[in-house]
Amino acid sequence: MNAPLEDPRLLRGKPVKDRILREVADYVRSVPHIGKLVSVSIGDVPEVAIYIRNQARAAEAVGLPFDQQFWDGETAQEECKLRIQEMNDDPDVLGVILQRPVPSHINVRSLQSAIHPLKDIEGMSPASIGNIVYNDVAMAPCTAASAVELIRETGLNREGLEVVMVGHSEIVGKPAAMMLMAEGATVTVCHHMTRSVAMHSRRADVVVVAVGKAHLIGADMIKPGAAVIDIGINQVRHEDGTVGIVGDVDTEAIKEIAGWVSPVPGGVGPVTVAILMRNAIKAHQRQQEAGWLNI
Amino acid sequence: MGANIIDGKAFATNVRRQIANQVQRLRDDHGITPGLAVILVGEDPASEVYVAAKHKQTIEVGMSSFEHKLSADTSQEDLYALIDQLNSDPAVHGILCQFPVPDHLSERDIVARIDPAKDVDGLSVVNAGLLTSGEKGLVSCTPLGCLMLLRDQLGNMSGKEAVVIGRSNLFGKPMAQLLLQENCTVTIAHSRTADLPAVARRADILVAAVGRAEMVNGNWIKPGATVIDVGITRIPHPEKPGKSKLLGDVAYHEALDVAAAVTPVPGGVGPMTIACLLANTLTACQRANGLEEIKDLTA
Repeated sequence: MNAPLEDPRLLRGKPVKDRILREVADYVRSVPHIGKLVSVSIGDVPEVAIYIRNQARAAEAVGLPFDQQFWDGETAQEECKLRIQEMNDDPDVLGVILQRPVPSHINVRSLQSAIHPLKDIEGMSPASIGNIVYNDVAMAPCTAASAVELIRETGLNREGLEVVMVGHSEIVGKPAAMMLMAEGATVTVCHHMTRSVAMHSRRADVVVVAVGKAHLIGADMIKPGAAVIDIGINQVRHEDGTVGIVGDVDTEAIKEIAGWVSPVPGGVGPVTVAILMRNAIKAHQRQQEAGWLNI
Repeated sequence: MGANIIDGKAFATNVRRQIANQVQRLRDDHGITPGLAVILVGEDPASEVYVAAKHKQTIEVGMSSFEHKLSADTSQEDLYALIDQLNSDPAVHGILCQFPVPDHLSERDIVARIDPAKDVDGLSVVNAGLLTSGEKGLVSCTPLGCLMLLRDQLGNMSGKEAVVIGRSNLFGKPMAQLLLQENCTVTIAHSRTADLPAVARRADILVAAVGRAEMVNGNWIKPGATVIDVGITRIPHPEKPGKSKLLGDVAYHEALDVAAAVTPVPGGVGPMTIACLLANTLTACQRANGLEEIKDLTA
């Protein structure tokens, strides 16, 4: 029996992830030596274990050494900063990943800022975000870059494209808006104070949703044929008592109207870890250009 | 006809008066004088005029003004050495390098060399990132000036539709971020936008920064909108031979019939820029000394 046909309206992340990881693996094989990724977890945070495992797996798949560090939850801010600065100076550290959440005594923004922009593969420091604003989009925040990657996947021409972002978070909405604008899209950013989100989303060629409200966007808010990128991750309890993950978009309903919709789970999520790996090889290229690596 | 004309010149005078009062207070209470250092490389006549205007207004509000005029063949090393020295000089709270600079120097690298806490032009990637992240930084002067005019005109901007025409690093992008911070719904439109007039007509707040004379017609403007005109184009004067005239991006007389309020060109946004440079210098000084900053003068 044949496998059931894949619904062509669903923008699945897996093939995109696999393609990017293959490209990264080719690059890693082509260079004589490459440094390691360091994952830093401060304190005992069981909820990040799954993320670290995914990152470690992706790193292994592309051939990047992955060093999992677990720092004591009592480690002082200054000590954390010092250790990060040592990594900045260590040519064998290719990139640093700071896992969140961190203990309450840690100022996470200050630690993110301490990571050198050329090693900030998560694209989170103010300098990295500023580079995005100035159209240098090589090392973008992973989730924002994943959303952009899925939009590219539709084949829609970004020049003159009407894009509506719902949600103006610092790490997703705003950087993604800047990246799409750099490619020629006309971007409107909506948020909790927007009078009518529907008025905007209904005229959009592409709607990107990153709010964190289950099924906020229904079929009546979408123009026929539009692409809908769902970045929300919400835990819900179904009627039968089981717990599941849904996005900000009512995928089943929207599928009947939209040209493309990214499912949750399985849409943007899987791409993010591949973008992290791609950022790592961009970091390698940038560090080489900066003369940091003598190979 | 019906629209309120936003008098940027008078507003800028008020801002400078407010800054002068704060400078006086800093001196009286803490013995601190804010200082602004301006670097000019080469002899561009227009730049000399700007630098002279900045110097004059810096002195007028009671700040210290440090002018550094370097010859056009100044090497990158010498320029960086000066910037490093100003970065570590506690009497200097703001540093700006007047652009354009000669071709052998990189504007981007010069900005990157300036301590972000002293980057009173708000142009460094770090300050651009801080603004995007909603964190405290220094904001580019012209958008900050527009924000002050809008706050004065409209008060609470929450939920308003804002459209910024132009996506430059210097203006359009930071302006959009500031309007988002005020909880406007923001669209950035530009040369690639499919239907620019239709997008503009949605706007309760329309900000034009393209540099194309009178591109925004009256029928691009929603009745009752507030229109901020940042464009400046110099054309030969239609009646006086040999003289020139300044035009904005907005067809001013048409806008007056439709909008609720409009900034004229000249005399609208223009005068706010140096006032905001001084505001940023004051803010940088207050932050450097751990003192409270003035809300009205910052983003």
